[in-house]
Amino acid sequence: MSKAKLKRMGLFASVILVIILIGGVMLGINARERQNKETDALSQIKQTHVMRWGVKCDTRLFGLISPKTEQSEGFDVDIARAITKQIAKDNHTHIKSEFTPVTTNSKIQLLKNKQVDAVAASMTITPERAKIVDFSKPYFPAGQSILVKKNSGIKNIKDLNNSKSTVIGVMGTTALETTKKFAPKAHLIAMPDNSQAFSALESAQGQAMTTDNAILYGFTQQSNNVEVVGKPFTNQPYGLGVDKGQTQLNNAVNKALAEIIKDGTYNRLIKKWFSNIPGLDWRDLTK
Amino acid sequence: MSAIIKFQDVEKYYGDFHALHDINLKINAGETVVLIGPSGSGKSTLLRTINGLEDIQKGKLVVDGMDISSKDTNVNKLRTDVGMVFQHFNLYNNKTILENIMLAPQIVLKRPKDKNREIADELLAKVDLSNQGGKYPAQLSGGQKQRIAIARSLAMDPRVLLFDEPTSALDPEMVGSVLNVMRDIAMNSDMTTLVVTHEMDFAKAVADRVIFMADGKILEDSSTDEFFKRPKTERARQFLSQVEHH
Amino acid sequence: MINIFMQNWQTILNGFWITILSSLIGLGGSLLLGTIFALMELAPNKILKFIGNAFVEFFRNIPLLVITLFFYVVVAKDFKISGFWAGTIGLILYTSAFVAECIRGGINSVDEGQMEGARANGLTYTQAMIHIVLPQGFKLAIPSLGNQFINLVKNSSILSFVAGFDLMYQANVISGANLDPFNTYIIVGIFYLIITGLLSTVMRQIEDRLGKGRLQ
Ligand SMILES: Nc1ncnc2c1ncn2[C@@H]1O[C@H](COP(=O)(O)OP(=O)(O)OP(=O)(O)O)[C@@H](O)[C@H]1O
Ligand SMILES: [Mg+2]
Repeated sequence: MSKAKLKRMGLFASVILVIILIGGVMLGINARERQNKETDALSQIKQTHVMRWGVKCDTRLFGLISPKTEQSEGFDVDIARAITKQIAKDNHTHIKSEFTPVTTNSKIQLLKNKQVDAVAASMTITPERAKIVDFSKPYFPAGQSILVKKNSGIKNIKDLNNSKSTVIGVMGTTALETTKKFAPKAHLIAMPDNSQAFSALESAQGQAMTTDNAILYGFTQQSNNVEVVGKPFTNQPYGLGVDKGQTQLNNAVNKALAEIIKDGTYNRLIKKWFSNIPGLDWRDLTK
Repeated sequence: MSAIIKFQDVEKYYGDFHALHDINLKINAGETVVLIGPSGSGKSTLLRTINGLEDIQKGKLVVDGMDISSKDTNVNKLRTDVGMVFQHFNLYNNKTILENIMLAPQIVLKRPKDKNREIADELLAKVDLSNQGGKYPAQLSGGQKQRIAIARSLAMDPRVLLFDEPTSALDPEMVGSVLNVMRDIAMNSDMTTLVVTHEMDFAKAVADRVIFMADGKILEDSSTDEFFKRPKTERARQFLSQVEHH
Repeated sequence: MINIFMQNWQTILNGFWITILSSLIGLGGSLLLGTIFALMELAPNKILKFIGNAFVEFFRNIPLLVITLFFYVVVAKDFKISGFWAGTIGLILYTSAFVAECIRGGINSVDEGQMEGARANGLTYTQAMIHIVLPQGFKLAIPSLGNQFINLVKNSSILSFVAGFDLMYQANVISGANLDPFNTYIIVGIFYLIITGLLSTVMRQIEDRLGKGRLQ
């Protein structure tokens, strides 16, 4: 066979390969979607006695890997544990909590892949997300704020509305979209996660970092050079999430949430995590 | 006559291996000298010390008035006066035949372009390859390559030309054409030539002197006639009877 | 899938352009730097050799992400440096270590007689390198250089970690908004394939052209 012919065959083969690849992925998605409808997460949890939660691993106060235990620790993790315990009690059985670290980017995908049953990952309830995820009732009253270097002269989000300012956000969060409304002239850059966004702020890649106030407060504990300025400019509460269509499980979560609020567990956890943060009164958060 | 190459008590080591022992040798300008000896006797090593491809550890070696054993000597300058032809040609594979011949004169001697081309064409005619200038070495036969390699050396207009077994890698039918070119150089120029070869007929025909080496030592250094008719050492007699019965 | 492209084509093409730009700068930079360090590694001078070896070993053995974040986070404290440049400089340094190894390998497989012939012919070491050994070494290194350049294009996705606005960054942004990462990443994957496919074709053509009549 001639060299040119061989080369053309090679090209042809690559095109076929690409088509097969794309086809395979699409089939895979279809198969997964079909599978989704078939299994009921709640009965599976009861059967296996394990409830698998996706929690953050990079977010101080909510879900941050502890170097000692190598497990995520934070408000989200404790809430997840309390909810699991309550669901077990409601169903007169025992259920263990299992935690998988997720990122802002991957949390919904893991839920869709059925790698976790539910996520407690400082996730804002949005209509967009509600199309593919079922949210519980709000479990934390978050709102977006900005974190700046001390003595920066920036008092609130309006001060960033000029073409000289760069605002740093986290990929996959709603914060940057919201920032466009309040400071349309500012440049926006997105980092892969909270800690990298914070590093970017520290090395002056931008003048402000924006995300939920609760997370920003976490960074003020980590560094003395930064402060949260201005009141939160949005009301974006967090919800726990389960896969779309898992109504049984969602009902169970909501019921458990109401019960732990009622019996004081919820307020105890709020106090445990948010009682000694400068500039924040934990009583504002209680229910 | 003045010596253009002069070895004085030269010793050469490759690490611990003693490759040249106590070499004392004078070669006069314009002489044609053939260097023979069994394999591994140090012929190539001796030749390569003359243009500084190998350094020496002891003694003194002066070539064309330059002391090679001294650190201050510019070997690049020396090599423009001393050409070398290798067993495996070592032509530049990425250059055409003409470029092979013209490169060093152009960038080392800064010879003007027209003049350079003129000389290259003359040399191609001399080695009987006039219409091959545009080809690459890979497109030539071994004999043709070796004649180009000789032309490349001649283009630098050297005073000394070293040949290291120039015909050993060639098919037998190619050997003649290369030897003819070498004979022409030896007979019709005032260049000093030093040839390592196993071609005894060539040695008998063109050499003024024969040097016989074994085990890194010069065992004999005599006129061609004397060496072939009355070799002084048993080693040389043995060696001659071996190569001549081949 | 078509929908995602129609809705975001401007963003995707922006990212595509940034990826191409970063890859081209990375290619040129790493080729230049890689050649310099390969020559240092092969240099007769011991100090140059040491610097060359140290550079290659250093950048070959730390993750690209670490190099990039170093420029984005640490260096940026003293010099203003954008995500694009932090990522691209990281790419150049990282890739040039591998390019240096390819070129060193190429030069090493050039017959020793080439250098010897050139030196005996009166050329200096540098002249022999430039005119004779390097061109042949490059030619021998082209297949493995091609692999490195394809890796470079794919590695340019490092820009997405430092907000470099490349294809991968835009894919992350788009999939964060439309919550359909599967189809988004497939589209972006196709754009990467376009770049690497073109690159392979060009490299093969160079190989063919240089191959003609100049073999040993
Ligand atoms: N670079 C080197 N390193 C170590 N030893 C070497 C080196 N070059 C040559 N030698 C050794 O030095 C001795 C002389 O080698 P040389 O090549 O000068 O012999 P020669 O007389 O040219 O032999 P031949 O007829 O086989 O070409 C040999 O024993 C050889 O093994
Ligand atoms: Mg030899």
